[in-house]
Amino acid sequence: MRILLVEDEEKVARFVSVGLKAERFAIDHAPDGKTGLLFARMNSYDLLVVDLMLPDMSGTEVIAKVRRSNEQVPIIVLTARDAIDDKVRNFEAGADDYLTKPFAFAELLVRIKALMRRGPVNRSNVLKIADLEIDRVSHQVTRGGISIKLTSKEYGLLEYLAASAGRVLSRTMIIEHVWDQSFEGFTNIVDVYIRQLRTKIDEPFDKKLIHTVRSVGYSLNEEEP
Amino acid sequence: MNIRSIRFRLIVWYASLCLVLVFGFGTYSCWRLDHYLKLSLAQALEHRADRIGATLLANISKTGEAYVRDEIKTLYAPELNDRFVRVTRLDGRVIYVSGAPNNRSFDPEQVASANLHLETAATNEEKLSGGTKLLIASLPFAVNGQKYVVEVGSAEDGLDRVLNGFVATLLFSLPILGIVGVIGGYGLIEQALDPVKKIITTAREITPKDLSKRLPVVDTGDAIEDLSKTLNQMIARLEESFQASNRFTSDASHELRTPLTIIRGELDTLLLDPHLTDSMRATLESLQEESERLGKIVEGLLSLSRLDAGAGQMECVRFDLAELVATTAEQMCLLAEDKKISVKLQTSQPVFVEGDKSRLKQVVVNLLDNGIKYAAEGGKVEVSVTAQQDYALFEVTDNGPGIRAEALPYVFDRFYRAVEMRGEGIEGAGLGLPIVKAICTAHGGTVIASSIQGSGCRLTVKLPLSRKKVDVRLI
Repeated sequence: MRILLVEDEEKVARFVSVGLKAERFAIDHAPDGKTGLLFARMNSYDLLVVDLMLPDMSGTEVIAKVRRSNEQVPIIVLTARDAIDDKVRNFEAGADDYLTKPFAFAELLVRIKALMRRGPVNRSNVLKIADLEIDRVSHQVTRGGISIKLTSKEYGLLEYLAASAGRVLSRTMIIEHVWDQSFEGFTNIVDVYIRQLRTKIDEPFDKKLIHTVRSVGYSLNEEEP
Repeated sequence: MNIRSIRFRLIVWYASLCLVLVFGFGTYSCWRLDHYLKLSLAQALEHRADRIGATLLANISKTGEAYVRDEIKTLYAPELNDRFVRVTRLDGRVIYVSGAPNNRSFDPEQVASANLHLETAATNEEKLSGGTKLLIASLPFAVNGQKYVVEVGSAEDGLDRVLNGFVATLLFSLPILGIVGVIGGYGLIEQALDPVKKIITTAREITPKDLSKRLPVVDTGDAIEDLSKTLNQMIARLEESFQASNRFTSDASHELRTPLTIIRGELDTLLLDPHLTDSMRATLESLQEESERLGKIVEGLLSLSRLDAGAGQMECVRFDLAELVATTAEQMCLLAEDKKISVKLQTSQPVFVEGDKSRLKQVVVNLLDNGIKYAAEGGKVEVSVTAQQDYALFEVTDNGPGIRAEALPYVFDRFYRAVEMRGEGIEGAGLGLPIVKAICTAHGGTVIASSIQGSGCRLTVKLPLSRKKVDVRLI
């Protein structure tokens, strides 16, 4: 797996590269937009990580130019700006995800993995993980044939975990999907809801499906991640 | 009609000035007219007396008194002309006196005897009983050593009739002039206020979101031109300072976040090393926690500085605050349940406000979180949204330890946390309430904290109610 990192802050680039190399990714680093575009044209990458404040051109411009020739490659934006307008502009330019500095490396890693495995997103009406079944139309949840009653928030959380089954989801990603940006910084709300969900989904059964990933977040899976 | 408005005051001034001028001019004209009429009457009378003296008395020694009497009657017919004529000799003998006039305006019997010591011509006003005034011109004549006084008079009621007519005309024209004054004043003021109205129309279009527009400068060379120029300079300064503070917030975000990213990133990578000793790992994790806390403080300060800088650059939509509070409370209820705290929600009807929904949601989240944090274990948090007069009232009451009275004024200060709240394992950077206050202020609202120590704390948010009946965006 080969990743292109377009980032002008040398130190940020260094720890991201070191961290990703440790995760067995191949990393190319471009210190400015021009080099970034050149690399993107010369090589084929599985993912791009682009900083928005570059010395020669804006990251948004880089994304828009890359998108013109390559519609598939996933792009993650790194930025110190977090105005809603900025986010909208970059998603319109073709970014797939958005990470505000300062970020935890684990968060970046989870998002990279989520994007790379994006492939077949489960869109079927019934989600099945082991003996857990979730009907997305009627919002009915059963495990081992036993019907489980969930509140709307618990259901939203479970559906998000189940639709991305097997992937690690960070608390921030869960907040973004199940709550909204007003709750950013309230990551303990995720822990509380997960605990509640576990008492209903996992505790009455032998096999545990919801797994905690230390210092990152949670994952719903038959096996431990 | 607004009696404080410049328009009303100017019209009143203008109309009063018209009336005062007309009144003053009228009084002066009356006085002058009276004077002139009396003067010309006196001259006419004097002239007649002179004619009698010069033509008839000059030859009295030849013609005799009877002739003079007849001639006066024939030539001047004083009774027919409503005149008074009397010729008196120096020894007091009255040679001729006219009879009662045709119109009975005076009684000649009542006129006092002539002043026989008269040296030169004189005019005097004789008041008769019954209020009649008689203007009499007296002329002394010396003929062949004999001295006579000729008096010719006329009642003044003719003059009074002319004067009364003039005054009546004036009084009749006063209200008309007053109305003309009001209409004229209104027109003038409308014309004078026209450039001001143009300035107002353009000024309304200038919002903090778009400060690039300027007011029209009316080329009048006076205060109005000065006003538009001065306002334009002010808008330019505002635009500049808005841009500067926006640039500052943007630069500060970048400058503060980049080193934080590096610190966190380096710590994260270090922690990946499997050869770390336990104590090193503990130290690194502590550093990581602190850098996260620093990150939260930076985020809080940046949102405050954005609110300070661009309070007006917010979204403005009409929405139901009661509904927002209800859904947010639902999203957070497990946090409360986790502490065995019950959240009681009291909303009965929609309460519409206008503003930035996501920012006001931040207010709701922060206050609910605050209430849940400080409520006693197993206690309760009461939440209510009501409409009162022209504002919406959102209250969050917890039954926690409350806040000391001395601390109340400071709870909205940045980084202030009541001493008793520290060290109880309650997280927070001391920026939650300041952010709430900044958002409320930006929406033209207020937030106050009240407390009974030991039995709870209440935070009350007041926001202006939406004045729009229907949201145009929904149509």
